[in-house]
Amino acid sequence: MDLFKRVCKQRRWFIFVPIALSMLMLLPLTNAKVNPDLMEYLPNDIESKINLDSIEREFGKFEPLIIYIKSNDILQPSSLERIVSLSEALSELPEVNDVLSLHNTKYIRGVEGAMLVDPAIRFIPTNEEEREALKQELTMNPLAVDVFVSSSFKHASIIVNPEQGIPDETLLQKVDSVLMVYPGSESVYMNGLPYLRNEIQVKATRDLALLLPLGLFVMLVFLLLSFRELKGVLLPFSVVLMSIAFAMGLMPLLGYDLSLIAVLVPIMMIAIANNYGVHIIARYQELNSETPSILMPQIVERTLKHLTKPILLTAITTIIGILGLAVHVMAPARQMGWVTSVGVAVALVLSLVFIPSVMLGMKKGKPSHGKLTFERAWIRKLLAQISLKTVSRPLVVVYIFVSFLLLSAVGILSLQVSINMEKMMPKAHPMRISTDIANQHFGGTKTISLLFEGDIISPEIMQAMDAFERELKQIPEIGNVTSLASVIRIISRSLNNPDDFLYDTIPNDRMAIAQYIEFYSMSGDPEDFEKLVNFDYSQALLNIQFKANDYKAFKRVVGKIKALANSSPHCTLMAGQCLVENELARSIVRGQVYSLIFALLAIVILLATIFKSVTAGIIGSIPLLVSLICNFGLMGWFGLELDIGNSLISSVAIGIGVDYAIHLFWRLKYELSLGRSYPSAIANTLTTTGRGITINALSVMLGFAVLFFSGLVILKTFAFLIIFSLLICLLCTLILIPAICVLVKPAFLTMNGDQQLID
Amino acid sequence: MKLKLFLSFTLLIAISVAVIAQNPKEIASKSNEMVEFESMEMLTTLNIYDARGNVRVRDVAVATRKFGEVTKTLMRFMAPPEVKGTSILVYDYPEKSDDMWVYLPSLRKSRRIVSTEKGKSFMGSEFSNADMSRPNLNEFTYKLLGSQKWNGKDCWVVEATVASSEVEKELGYAKRVSYTEKSTYLTHKSELLNKSGKVLKVMTLNNFQRQKNGRYFAYEMRMENMQSKRYSEMKVKSFQLGSSLSEEKFSVSSLEN
Repeated sequence: MDLFKRVCKQRRWFIFVPIALSMLMLLPLTNAKVNPDLMEYLPNDIESKINLDSIEREFGKFEPLIIYIKSNDILQPSSLERIVSLSEALSELPEVNDVLSLHNTKYIRGVEGAMLVDPAIRFIPTNEEEREALKQELTMNPLAVDVFVSSSFKHASIIVNPEQGIPDETLLQKVDSVLMVYPGSESVYMNGLPYLRNEIQVKATRDLALLLPLGLFVMLVFLLLSFRELKGVLLPFSVVLMSIAFAMGLMPLLGYDLSLIAVLVPIMMIAIANNYGVHIIARYQELNSETPSILMPQIVERTLKHLTKPILLTAITTIIGILGLAVHVMAPARQMGWVTSVGVAVALVLSLVFIPSVMLGMKKGKPSHGKLTFERAWIRKLLAQISLKTVSRPLVVVYIFVSFLLLSAVGILSLQVSINMEKMMPKAHPMRISTDIANQHFGGTKTISLLFEGDIISPEIMQAMDAFERELKQIPEIGNVTSLASVIRIISRSLNNPDDFLYDTIPNDRMAIAQYIEFYSMSGDPEDFEKLVNFDYSQALLNIQFKANDYKAFKRVVGKIKALANSSPHCTLMAGQCLVENELARSIVRGQVYSLIFALLAIVILLATIFKSVTAGIIGSIPLLVSLICNFGLMGWFGLELDIGNSLISSVAIGIGVDYAIHLFWRLKYELSLGRSYPSAIANTLTTTGRGITINALSVMLGFAVLFFSGLVILKTFAFLIIFSLLICLLCTLILIPAICVLVKPAFLTMNGDQQLID
Repeated sequence: MKLKLFLSFTLLIAISVAVIAQNPKEIASKSNEMVEFESMEMLTTLNIYDARGNVRVRDVAVATRKFGEVTKTLMRFMAPPEVKGTSILVYDYPEKSDDMWVYLPSLRKSRRIVSTEKGKSFMGSEFSNADMSRPNLNEFTYKLLGSQKWNGKDCWVVEATVASSEVEKELGYAKRVSYTEKSTYLTHKSELLNKSGKVLKVMTLNNFQRQKNGRYFAYEMRMENMQSKRYSEMKVKSFQLGSSLSEEKFSVSSLEN
């Protein structure tokens, strides 16, 4: 039974079932969990994560919230008092495990035969003399300067270590409420993973709430302007709504958490899902205006006969392109690939089943009388011009594209991988400001820990750690290095007089080191060492804090640390959050490459199958290849870094962009089969199908353009790059492919094929 | 008439006793008195556990003796070998901060430690130096929270709140809730809280043994840090009331000899 007869027979079911199912699909969304932590989506078996996990198992997880306070003078009474009040109030919070700041760090030194242990701020200075004295003390205190106060005394930090399992949102709310209770003239900025994760979550939720209605509104306006008929607006619109419900509802149903990338799913559906419905409405209007006496069932029958196969083919190619994401290394990208593909499949089915069923029960609208609107006029004129130039000077066209391609390809050489998660935020965002403060005044935001194993308190290991510290401090990007060796040095300075030979050294005697530690533990907290050495002194950490603005700097520093780590048999492991982030970045590149290869190969095979020619596969893939090279080239030229967001672009661009070539080939083949010459076949193709392709591409770009209103830079960049890629793809399809066809005159275009599909 | 007078008198006494007994400061004071020793010697094992149950064992010999108004305490590590001989000498003055010296055998010299914070760790354990010395009753305000059974013992629940932020800083906590047995005035459990009522540490005292002077001594003490989940236990191996050590033994010079 053909589709039309089936639609006629089961019309009510085809209307009722999709609506009911869509409603049902909304239900799981109430249980959807938002998880903004991209790290959690990384596979557990990657080396950097295994290393970090093993260190965290022994030394505890340390994901602090860091508060930076900026003041003209941190040592002025009001600023110091605020730091004290904040530290005290924060440590009172049940959600907080401990708070480290100038308020509770120690000042340990040896004075005239005594070891003095005081709080770093022993007094709040009341005059310039006292201020200078405190400044001197803090400058000499390695437990304070560059850790809790900058050497310029314009910045201070408060490190808040949350209790385990406290949600970021709760922590941030509580911290905000404490900050409100203690206002001041100082600027306060936050940093750290809990803050970043919370900001992403807030912005992603806001984006979903704002961009979805905005995208739907833009699409409504677009449909209204295109068809000027209520049917033309409501039918494709309802398909979009239902496919969004399916795609989004599927995520919690499959046990996927809503990640940052999930924001893209409804936007992609808005951009893609209306395509098929739009073709049906356009055909309906065309038939209605051609034959005003035609009845609705006849329109539906002819439309389905005419469009089922091309719609099916373009939807399949889109699905295959997007499914390229299913081999992505990152789970959220894979998940997006699956649910978007299902969404597109739903849109396809609904367009072929739901829209005709509803149309059958509707009255036919007034026929429009083929009057060219302004839009139709200028696009047609432009396309006519393009076809003229292309046909007359095809080689020039090819040269221009090749030059542009080469120029873009040069940009790829400077393409970098993003390693700084805070760059997801806009430039003026507090996270970016606090990162600058951390990098410029507090030794940096990145940390790497080196694990030492063996008899930690033996002079051999302790001296090795001490030597590492000294060596690492020579590297300009490295801010702070701390280990048990630094503590031993502090103790040796406070226990011995400057003229003693043991002053500021690591003792060459295991007993002495053990006694130093015992001695220190009598004046500190038992937990003081917890982050540096394990309980039985068999493992110790050397913590390195550094800054790296880009991937090159990061690689350089990590390379040096690695080389040093390899030089000692006692140093057995290197781990850190930034190494996991680096692995994430590398997996993004890998994901990009896999998705690209998969999608391109699939498309070449598919095109070759549809047109029964390998040449069709190759020529048809040229726009995709050019747009991808230009996309990466542009990123390189503009200094845009590869991140999780734009790693999705290749697959999405391939999935959407391949449709243009299919439409073009189909029409060109048809025009040539009518015995037309290449110039006239190309002119006819561009002004008819070319117009459709252009409008379709513009509508998709418009759909993605709503992402410019996102609060996250990562999504704005995605919008910019996908629009750019689709534009290049469109230009290649409309200009380069016709030029190549004129030059090559490929056989598949003149072979007899499925001509009936065009009529 | 006589009977009536007698009954009234008895009732009056009963009420007075109840009122006195229910005065929380009085309860705290009596509880302190019950465990106060001017001089003693003991051998104790300090077990320091981390959150996972790993343990560090320290054997310590302790001697305390009061000379005038000053209580002097000498502690010496007996094991493990790497810290054996490390000694601590503390002078506890009634009106001023303690003096403290540490002797490290590997350096063969002693060093005075001056710290404004008493709330710091006692020998790297969860006990603080403040937990080891007798609290000054006037540094707190007291409130009787009620009665409660603890481990089958009928106890007063007394809340002691620090009188000033200086004291809080010194001790490392803002409130202490003690469970003091009504019949013996022995405190079996103390919770140390911060200002907002978060329990920071819990100390429990067990195996009280009555000494010759009528006072009691807890042979087992446990302090659990509710934040880090670390805990420490002090188990007394031998206890002797009074100390025969001369004042000279409680001096810095004898630490080094």
